[in-house]
Amino acid sequence: MKSRTWLSMGLAWLLALCLGPQAALAAGKVEITWWHAMSGNNGKVVDKIVKEFNAAHPDFELKALYTGSYEETLTKYITAYRSHTAPTIVQSYEVGTQTMLSSGAVTPVYQIPGMLGETWDWAQYVIPITHYYESDGHLWSLPFNSSSEIMYYNKDLFAKAGLNPDRPPTTWEELEADGKKLLASGAVKHVLSFGWPDWTFEQMFAVHNQLFADHDNGRSGLATKVLFNSEFGVKVIDTWAKLAKENIFIYGGPEYSANSAFQSGQIAILIQSTSSLAGIEKGSPFRVGTGFLPRFEGYPRGNSVIGGASLWVTKGQSKEQLRAVWAFFKYLGQTKVAVEWHKGTGYFPTVNAAVQELLGEGWFSKDQNYLTAFLQILSGRRDTAAATGVRMGPFVQVREYERTAIEKAVAGQLSPKAAVDDAARKANQLLADFAQMNR
Amino acid sequence: MANVAEEQKFPGHPLLPYALILPSVAVIVVFLVYPFLQSVQESFFASTAFGTKTVYVGLRNYTRLFASPDFRSSALATLVFAAFVMLVGLSVSLAVAHLLNQKLRGQGFYQIALIWTYALSPAVAGAIWALMFAPATGIVPFVVAKLSGGYLMNWMTNGSLALLVVSAAATWKMLGYNIVFFLAGLQNIPEEFVDAARVDGAGAWRTFWDITFPMLSPTTTFLLFVNMIYAFFQVFGLIDIMTHGGPGDATNILIYKLYRDAFLYLNTGTASAESCIVFLVISVAAVIQLHYATRKAIYAR
Repeated sequence: MKSRTWLSMGLAWLLALCLGPQAALAAGKVEITWWHAMSGNNGKVVDKIVKEFNAAHPDFELKALYTGSYEETLTKYITAYRSHTAPTIVQSYEVGTQTMLSSGAVTPVYQIPGMLGETWDWAQYVIPITHYYESDGHLWSLPFNSSSEIMYYNKDLFAKAGLNPDRPPTTWEELEADGKKLLASGAVKHVLSFGWPDWTFEQMFAVHNQLFADHDNGRSGLATKVLFNSEFGVKVIDTWAKLAKENIFIYGGPEYSANSAFQSGQIAILIQSTSSLAGIEKGSPFRVGTGFLPRFEGYPRGNSVIGGASLWVTKGQSKEQLRAVWAFFKYLGQTKVAVEWHKGTGYFPTVNAAVQELLGEGWFSKDQNYLTAFLQILSGRRDTAAATGVRMGPFVQVREYERTAIEKAVAGQLSPKAAVDDAARKANQLLADFAQMNR
Repeated sequence: MANVAEEQKFPGHPLLPYALILPSVAVIVVFLVYPFLQSVQESFFASTAFGTKTVYVGLRNYTRLFASPDFRSSALATLVFAAFVMLVGLSVSLAVAHLLNQKLRGQGFYQIALIWTYALSPAVAGAIWALMFAPATGIVPFVVAKLSGGYLMNWMTNGSLALLVVSAAATWKMLGYNIVFFLAGLQNIPEEFVDAARVDGAGAWRTFWDITFPMLSPTTTFLLFVNMIYAFFQVFGLIDIMTHGGPGDATNILIYKLYRDAFLYLNTGTASAESCIVFLVISVAAVIQLHYATRKAIYAR
């Protein structure tokens, strides 16, 4: 009998342990929580900004919590939402945008000032960035950390091969020609690799103003069909497969696995996220150059796509909590904070005033490479869905299909056409399922 | 043996044994049985990521999986992977354990050095192998290219090669564990048996197959089972660090596919169906293996 008493006591204790933290509330202060996926250096900058925000706002207590990678954060958020313990704010990566839009779990950011009886000038944010997160012309989440993709090249290797180190290739044709010279000079055994092959594939569509999926890239309605097995899509993969055959392109794996090959001088050109810029400049024993993404001649101009993440607000917050959220969002938009964020992390500042400030103080002329990504997004088109980038419900999974198609085509396992057709067929099934569940 | 039922193990406390096992049973029910039943249930449903809408779809999750070439290739990759880990892993471990069982100088050092691998976390082991085999910068592709006159060992694009490298890494990671058990097994074999065989004129090879190997069979059976579980369930970290299931899904073994379907693609229905299938396959394999192998295993001296 005694053992049972002990057991029930133990269970009660366990239960108390689970429920305890939610019961605690700082007296007098409005507490809001924020789950984010910023680790390492970026995490430190986040912590600093949160600390400064709390110091400047004695009425509010913002608690920021690192909840793992983007995937982990989203999974945890969903689990928490389903058990009614979701944080006030959550950071979600760009491919999770449609999932969040369809979730029914959020209060759109554009409605918050109105709910508090305030007005807000949304034009102060950098347009290509806000466009990415808009739905029906309104901003649903606050752009937080935004990046894009550029071309990095090794100036020393270019010089060694007799190429002009200040003139990176601008088209795939030029890249092929330069690549052949680099190979012939014996400076490298391979020339080019990508981080994020799937994202690079999507970038090609946006840069050439080609639609990736129907319903205006999933922006005028849920996407029901992908268009990446078009003639253009086949041309992109075909080009990469050809470059691979010529030993110019070497497939380097997903995400950041190709960086080490570039930084050790094994390859001369790397197409990678702007978020790698600081790391690559610090870790490369040669002069690093940057350029726009290579183009195909004879196609219209679009724009490079924004990547990164944005901040979403869980619905059902009290007015006081919303006030705290809004105070934090306004704080992030302050010039000083946006500049601090950019300098600390390399992500784009999201407000125009911060860009002005950085230009004014000559930040970009110190290092031209930081300007490249900016020029690329600011010089591109902003008025078409194709140039803004695609939005899909099961985006993460479709991206895996893209990557598999690229891997199979580059390895010569499948023809480029067969590879993208196969990926498109699988993606369409997913899109149909998603549309059916989220009608 | 006849009066087992009447025998009182805990005189005066008939409920005590039940109370004592209650905590473990409770843990098993709460953390294993209940979630398992929940997955069985969820495998018949499709739901949105946020669970806002759940639709009964009957056997659709299963029929789609069996019809999907991705699932079949994943199952095949899992079998190849598991077979490699079990056969190559156990053969190499047995050979190494046999060598370590000889009387040689510095035996302690060799034993520790070879058992060490088990102390590494999968993430560390994965990182080591990924760096060693990195196509452009790793030492192994470099040496291979030098020896073969320029063969480019790029397992980032070559699926079969990637599966081989990942299998080798997983096998290597498990070597230490296997060696410990084989070594213990070998040291339990009375020397008289081996000596007697030698006196009768049996060579080293014959002695091994007719005396040592049969005497080791309980250890081998146990290790086969543990390695199967390891190959099916415990290599997630290694795959995640080394290949993310690529290239072209060549190393997308079931446990990794399940993780991606559940936690990356937020497809609980599909993932639940997959976990039920894996559970069934493993159970059947385990029953066959234990039944067959225990019968053959020689426990008696």
